[in-house]
Amino acid sequence: MKRSDEAFWWALFSAGGVMAALFVPAFVLVTGFLLPAGGDAAVAAERTARFAAAVGWWPVKLALLGVLALSFVHCGHRIRHTLMDLGLRRFSGLLKVPCYGGALAATVWAAMLLWRI
Amino acid sequence: MSTELTMTLEVFRYHPETDSEPRFQAYEVPYDEDWVVLDALNWIKDHVDGSLTHRWSCRMGVCGSCGMMVNGDPKLTCAVFLKDYYPRPIKVEPLVNFPVERDLVVSLDGFMDKLEAVKPYIIRGDVNDTSGGEYLQSPAELAQYKQYSMCINCMLCYAACPVAGHEDEFLGPAALALGHRYNKDSRDQGQAERLDVMLVGEAIWGCTFVGECTVVCPKHVDPAGAIQQAKAVGAQEFFKRFVAPKGAGV
Repeated sequence: MKRSDEAFWWALFSAGGVMAALFVPAFVLVTGFLLPAGGDAAVAAERTARFAAAVGWWPVKLALLGVLALSFVHCGHRIRHTLMDLGLRRFSGLLKVPCYGGALAATVWAAMLLWRI
Repeated sequence: MSTELTMTLEVFRYHPETDSEPRFQAYEVPYDEDWVVLDALNWIKDHVDGSLTHRWSCRMGVCGSCGMMVNGDPKLTCAVFLKDYYPRPIKVEPLVNFPVERDLVVSLDGFMDKLEAVKPYIIRGDVNDTSGGEYLQSPAELAQYKQYSMCINCMLCYAACPVAGHEDEFLGPAALALGHRYNKDSRDQGQAERLDVMLVGEAIWGCTFVGECTVVCPKHVDPAGAIQQAKAVGAQEFFKRFVAPKGAGV
């Protein structure tokens, strides 16, 4: 019997899980708490501008896109398996289209946003 | 009996030759704080109702025969004490996710098929050749698989696993952990054969890492961890196909 191609999707899911767990909380901490910390709007704006400049450097953009793309696949894979658990197991192949397609669309969207920075 | 206290056991009963559907029967059993649920079941069978059917053997958490649902949780009934429930009644049912044969006895057929499928034994080409002496193994090599070898096939993990309940192709926690146990054994050469069974369809990929198997295991095996490690091996094998030609022996 042929080995399943699920290994491919699981590998991306797994990598996305690591990315999401490692980097997303750090992003939230930096952008949500550290940049505006102190309550001084002018200082926060200055910090944010410097941060945005750093993000505008292309190696950072590329790394960010990698983190985001894998996190989106992680999300799509988890949604697909949740839907399978909820009774759509026989559509496991068909569910790949909206779930991983959605992750791809989100990645393209993120790439466009990053391109504009 | 040191006390006259009693407590109630509500026991799942089903005799397929006479019962059209399962029912619960309540029994008053003597309460003794040294008793486990299995002692109470044996007392019922010996003193009240000889037709009660349940499996048990060692009474010391080694044989893996007496797994049942105790108040909805998969437990070895030899390892769960009445005093942990007293004075509330205890509901005893057969392990879920298995066909019931009679009362508290479930069919092992599907489980045995899955266990056999992963070839849970050492596979090597030179198994009859003893000229080189023993196959030595370092403590570090032993540590790679030792905890997975503690499985007693009690099937509590199958009763705890939501995927095992609705996906027939899924090999389940114990079988996958045992397959992984032999794949990690430095004396073994059968990983490719086992992966041909483990990596097809939903056999391993059905697992969504709920982790209840590890929670309920009475021998502190970590089947959920074993399955994730085995999935990682499967993913490596998948990508290796693109860098090494088939049969290159990577």
